[in-house]
Amino acid sequence: MEGGLRRISETSFKALPSMSCNSTRNNDPDQQGGRFNSMDQSCFSRPDQSFPAFSPLFGVQSSSLYLPDEKIGNQFEPNSSLNNPAVDWDPQTMLTNLSFLEQKIKQVKDIVQSMSSRESQVAGGCSEVQAKQQLVTADLTCIIIQLISTAGSLLPSMKNPLLSSNPAVRHLSNTLGSPMGFGFSCNQQPSTNNEATIPEITKTPDYEELMNSLNTTTPDESDEPMKCQNPCGGEGSEPIPMEDHDVKESDDGGEGENLPPGSYVVLQLDKEEILAPHTHFCLICGKGFKRDANLRMHMRGHGDEYKTPAALAKPSKDSSSEPAPVTRYSCPYVGCKRNKEHKKFQPLKTILCVKNHYKRSHCDKSYTCSRCNTKKFSVIADLKTHEKHCGRDKWLCSCGTTFSRKDKLFGHVALFQGHTPALPMDDVKVTGALDQPQDSEAMNAVGSIGYNFPGSSSDDIPNLDMKMADDARYFSSLSFDPCFGGLDDFTRPGFDISENPFSFMPS
Amino acid sequence: MSEEVQRYGGGGGGVGALSLDLLGQVLDRVREPRDRKACRLVSRAFARAEAAHRRALRVLRREPLARLLRTFPALERLDLSACASLDDASLAAALAGADLAGIRRVCLARANGVGWRGLDALVTACPKLEVVDLSHCVGAGDREVAAVAAATGLRELSLEKCLGVTDMGLAKVVVGCPKLEKLSLKWCREISDIGIDLLSKKCPELRSLDISYLKVGNESLRSISSLEKLEELAMVCCSCIDDDGLELLSKGSNSLQSVDVSRSDHVTTQGLASLIDGHNFLQKLNAADCLHEMGQRFLTNLAKLKETLTVLRLDGLEVSASVLQAIGEGCNNLVEISLSKCNGVTDEGISSLVARCSHLRVIDLTCCHLLTDNALDSIAENCKMVECLRLESCSSISEKGVEQIAICCPNLKEIDLTDCRVNDAALQHLAKCSELLILKLGLCSSISDKGLAFISSNCGKLIELDLYRCTSVTDDALAALANGCKKIKMLNLCYCNKITDSGLGHLGSLEELTNLELRCLVRITGIGISSVAIGCKNLIELDLKRCYSIDDAGLWALARYALNLRQLTISYCQVTGLGLCHLLSSLRCLQDVKMVHLSWVSIEGFEMALRAACGRLKKLKMLSGLKSVLSPELLQLLQAFGCRIRWVNKPLVYKD
Repeated sequence: MEGGLRRISETSFKALPSMSCNSTRNNDPDQQGGRFNSMDQSCFSRPDQSFPAFSPLFGVQSSSLYLPDEKIGNQFEPNSSLNNPAVDWDPQTMLTNLSFLEQKIKQVKDIVQSMSSRESQVAGGCSEVQAKQQLVTADLTCIIIQLISTAGSLLPSMKNPLLSSNPAVRHLSNTLGSPMGFGFSCNQQPSTNNEATIPEITKTPDYEELMNSLNTTTPDESDEPMKCQNPCGGEGSEPIPMEDHDVKESDDGGEGENLPPGSYVVLQLDKEEILAPHTHFCLICGKGFKRDANLRMHMRGHGDEYKTPAALAKPSKDSSSEPAPVTRYSCPYVGCKRNKEHKKFQPLKTILCVKNHYKRSHCDKSYTCSRCNTKKFSVIADLKTHEKHCGRDKWLCSCGTTFSRKDKLFGHVALFQGHTPALPMDDVKVTGALDQPQDSEAMNAVGSIGYNFPGSSSDDIPNLDMKMADDARYFSSLSFDPCFGGLDDFTRPGFDISENPFSFMPS
Repeated sequence: MSEEVQRYGGGGGGVGALSLDLLGQVLDRVREPRDRKACRLVSRAFARAEAAHRRALRVLRREPLARLLRTFPALERLDLSACASLDDASLAAALAGADLAGIRRVCLARANGVGWRGLDALVTACPKLEVVDLSHCVGAGDREVAAVAAATGLRELSLEKCLGVTDMGLAKVVVGCPKLEKLSLKWCREISDIGIDLLSKKCPELRSLDISYLKVGNESLRSISSLEKLEELAMVCCSCIDDDGLELLSKGSNSLQSVDVSRSDHVTTQGLASLIDGHNFLQKLNAADCLHEMGQRFLTNLAKLKETLTVLRLDGLEVSASVLQAIGEGCNNLVEISLSKCNGVTDEGISSLVARCSHLRVIDLTCCHLLTDNALDSIAENCKMVECLRLESCSSISEKGVEQIAICCPNLKEIDLTDCRVNDAALQHLAKCSELLILKLGLCSSISDKGLAFISSNCGKLIELDLYRCTSVTDDALAALANGCKKIKMLNLCYCNKITDSGLGHLGSLEELTNLELRCLVRITGIGISSVAIGCKNLIELDLKRCYSIDDAGLWALARYALNLRQLTISYCQVTGLGLCHLLSSLRCLQDVKMVHLSWVSIEGFEMALRAACGRLKKLKMLSGLKSVLSPELLQLLQAFGCRIRWVNKPLVYKD
């Protein structure tokens, strides 16, 4: 389980993203000011903050593998009150939330100020301004959510009907719907949301409803209350049908697999881990490897202690503990269907799927096909696959219709009178290169060397007849002088005429 | 005829008074090119008449092409296959000024230098083009074929060994030339079932199709079976075709007359039997080297072809006397049968075969080791019409059998007695066959001048004589041959190492000689070569491998006189770079040179010689050691002109 992967395990029930960011922010309030740039670092540069994955209690707490975690910055502390919906609100938490709000507002203020001062100075940097605008919007959204959730934390202490009958709250939720949507389309979203206190109140259906209307829901969010309301189903063990699960829309790794939510553990890798060329690092020299086996081979060089069969053996899974849970992966990109918070979340099967999915869907397509110069790919294997067919699989008919397969083209040609396959233009170049340019090039080469034997070039047709074999000159060795006289002009790497030509003689 | 013409020509004014038309008629009846040339030289009137009437032209050199095309406006057939160093530019230039409206037939076989531009120009210049031969243009691909496809009236096309042609090129042709009747796709390995399918949909007129050596499968035969007029189908060495394919083929229209499935490994007699079920007018069936055992159903089906079947080849099949008897009874009209390398062919079998097949003209019994004189006796007795008898390696036959054949078969034109250990007495009997054209006596070491003297005195029509390793043959035999067999075109004297320069001096009087093999005649020198080169003006191929005494003098004589020489082997000769240079720069028609182990030729010598001839050479054989020391641009240049080099992997040795 300590596989070097930073794992964030949480329930799909969790409505709002990025626990880790949140905890980071709360623990390091001084980072908030520079958050615009350091935000990612704050997420990724501190692997030590990753949750200790799956404490033994994890499996015991509930039959569900979804781990509801309720506390901000409080990583899986085995706490009996964690899952208890009836927990009272904690003044300490409230205080933290409020201070967070305060910081957040200050931060937004800073950004807006910097924007206004920047605008006066430089007219350019349009994209930067846009990014900042988005950031501000996102931050504001975050603040609102934080506010609501803080306020909502009071709810458990009240009677449920109170809130549901409170038109003001409903109105609030409705009005908040649209900015939320905008905010979520933004890339920076993961870090700007704060769900800190939400867990404490989510057990109330009203709050659920509220959050749903806020467009921050995941399918599991609505599942959870169902579980709660379903007394006869052992929660989690009873598969709950996902209502609009779109099976058809399965790309990399989903494969229409229809695992019931709750029957698997969701892991989410960080962006940097996904994009990292290596995942296994040598603790001594820091060299990275793609495979653990390669790392183990490498480790042998660091000393004899790494050469023992035990050190070289494949680390076996702990057979003593319970069988490894089915794991599925979530894309870290919020709003993506492969992200665990998406309403129709479809998990990715393997890490490779995650890597390919993330590169294909959320990264620049930096590999351009060298043949057609139009197709771009973010996964190099895709480029290679495309290049295999690029140009070739364009089976073109003289009428202009293209076909992906030759037999289709031939079927078309057979059907229509007068249609013929059009030869790809590449071929023209190739044959052309074979016939003419090379000829002329080679011809020039001969010319430049200065030998002109009869018939050795194509443009000497008039000259040819004068050198008939009856010409007596050919029987005098003198006539060869002009030919051999120019021999010194030979310049060729590896062959110097001034050398003894018999130096090539073997032995 | 030629004498008649000479007489007219001698009249001078008389000939001039005749109209061009009449003179043309006269010329049309002169068959031999040599005689036509004589006519042409006799008077201007004939020259004019020929200019106006000449139908066919074979050009050997590139330079006069343009002039020739302008001189003969009535040309119908143009053969450029031997035209040295023909390329796109020269072809297009030659075609530009000429009126070629009449040309119907163009042969560009082995014209490696001609690409799609040249073909484009050709097709544009010849609107009535009907027959194009591109065989062995190994560089030709889809582009070239597409250029040919613009000739909409095309009826016959040979793409044999155009290695670059794919389905696309084929599709171009079949769409562009719907009147195609004859098509050869032999060795076009890129063509697949899809292309053949389109072909059979688009060319319903197809009568003859050759798909030999293609990787096509049974699906192709399904498509081909829809061709209603197909008469001739060759599928040599199509290893993806099996009995199922033949069964599919048999479902087509009953039009096939000739089928060749030789060397198609997966065909058995079962498949052929079902093929015969569907096509019962088959005339020719070639199943050489593909069958292993005879099936009863095939035999009974062969009998169904009783009336029609004339040619049957079963090479390599295990046959018993009873099978041969059944074939003889079933197929009375056989004209040609080939049983070469068939195990189990005995005298008994042959006699029961020929007893019923009295029309046999060609009998191939190569490597039927069990045969004795008795078999020849029965052949002589029953098949009076026999013209060709191949008995190579039938080592048990003797002069007695040959005598019977010679007495009973006056029409004998070709006999192969290679490795049959016959002696001079056999030749004495054979000399009775005055029609003999081809005589092969290789490895018959007991043959001497005496026997050949009989042949020379009686077989004046002989055009091919093979005396490979007839080690007793001396110069006297050559003297006799040169006297008696003036028509000889091909002569093999390899390893007859008693032959000297004086023998070659006699050969000089064989004016028709085109192919001469003198391998390992260690006594001959430049003097002998000179007399051959001077006398044999038509020499096209000369093999001098291991003639260790040949030096530059021989090459200089060749360079000066053997102007038509196209293929030359001078491996192991003691020639120097100078001689080689001179040879290669002088001989305009030279296309194929094998020059391995010329240890007296320096690298510069090779370099210069090849540079001198690089536009003309199409095939070279050299030591691979030269590959690295010859200049890369030279090799590139050779390649650009379509020359293929075969590198022999042996060490490079120099001598000074």
